[in-house]
Amino acid sequence: MADNNCMTCGGSQGLCGGKGMVTLKEGVWTNNPLAIQVLGICSALAVTNKLSNSLVMGAALLFVCVGSNLFVSLLRNYIPHRIRMIAEVAIIATFVILFDQFLKAYYWEMSKQLGPYVALIITNCIVMGRAEAFALQNPPIVSIVDGVANGIGYGVALAIIGFARELFGAGQVDCFGLSISVGNWYTPNLLMIMAPGAFFVFGVLIAVFNLFKGDDAEEDKK
Amino acid sequence: MNKMRQNIYTMFFAVVLGLSCALLLTAVAQVTRPAQEKNKEAEEIRNVLSALKVPFESGSSPADLIAIFERDVEKQELGQDDPLILYAYKPEGGNELKGVAVRFEGNGLWAPIKGFLALEPDYQTVRGLTFYEQEETPGLGGEIVSESFRGAFESKKILDAQGNWGIDIVRSGTEASGDNQVAGISAATMTCDKVEIMINEIIGTLALKRESDGR
Repeated sequence: MADNNCMTCGGSQGLCGGKGMVTLKEGVWTNNPLAIQVLGICSALAVTNKLSNSLVMGAALLFVCVGSNLFVSLLRNYIPHRIRMIAEVAIIATFVILFDQFLKAYYWEMSKQLGPYVALIITNCIVMGRAEAFALQNPPIVSIVDGVANGIGYGVALAIIGFARELFGAGQVDCFGLSISVGNWYTPNLLMIMAPGAFFVFGVLIAVFNLFKGDDAEEDKK
Repeated sequence: MNKMRQNIYTMFFAVVLGLSCALLLTAVAQVTRPAQEKNKEAEEIRNVLSALKVPFESGSSPADLIAIFERDVEKQELGQDDPLILYAYKPEGGNELKGVAVRFEGNGLWAPIKGFLALEPDYQTVRGLTFYEQEETPGLGGEIVSESFRGAFESKKILDAQGNWGIDIVRSGTEASGDNQVAGISAATMTCDKVEIMINEIIGTLALKRESDGR
């Protein structure tokens, strides 16, 4: 990779060597970690029965992904090849524990609801995948962009699933003071709150993403 | 020789990375500890209160919970050496005893499980059961915190028809017909067995201490 002129941005074409927008678009849309790559679905299925949980989980992943991408990228020329994965996991784990401690101290209720899933971000394929596939080969700033993009991609997909499940499963969405109700005529469908509901919504989400992404890819060809 | 140098560098890198991560986390743990401990304490109090069925609002702040706890719950000691702490529910600090709770803990499948068992004043009937610390598999063993599992214990006896102390969590699918039998969670037999062991341990200790105290 181009890393000749400038230590931090790796090129003369802007901060990200001209790759910023592409990276951002890939993470959020054309290569969305959840809907296109179908990575990290364990947590996506488990915590998305409420919108607020989904948002916090998305924020957690964003934070971890940005942090680990930045540090893996900064250290990419120093990490010995043979132990690179262990080094990556150590860095990821540090950020995950940081976030977990912070939740436990200041957002106790949330931390209780998310339970072990925050700690399980350590094993989330998305974070590890970005560190290994992107940050290890790219300079820090564009790596941060990649982390942000994937965090947003994951968070938005999670929020959509969470919103749909809470709305149809509980009949109303309560999220940090915001409240949207379907109305009294609707009988909440408990299936949506339970694990199978996540599969249905997730399946639809993947279909929708692929539908629109298909158009996008064809346009690119033209 | 070059390989040797590479190995030394790899080890050096691992040690430095490990140490810096550890240092950072230690610092953060120190900073957040007071807030975390306060949350934990409030969580315990919330659990004693709900095991004892002391009424309180679900959104109560830690300070409110502590106030209710101090007003309605009296700490008692049972037994001479290494006494067992009893949490006696006496509304408004009066003399009427509505229930007693004891703390129990033991090993779960993945991590320690801690909770409170509350009994009616007859010391034989379960009033409530809560778990305030557990890391069982979510959706399987984690279901021990569910209302349906914990609720099944209520008004069960903590001794069988022959007068032997202990509660029996039967495998799910088997009928829990006895006075001291509760249906387990399907696909969580290991967790249920461990919960049974820790609850029976505290029931045994309680019975022993009450005998030695002549109560």
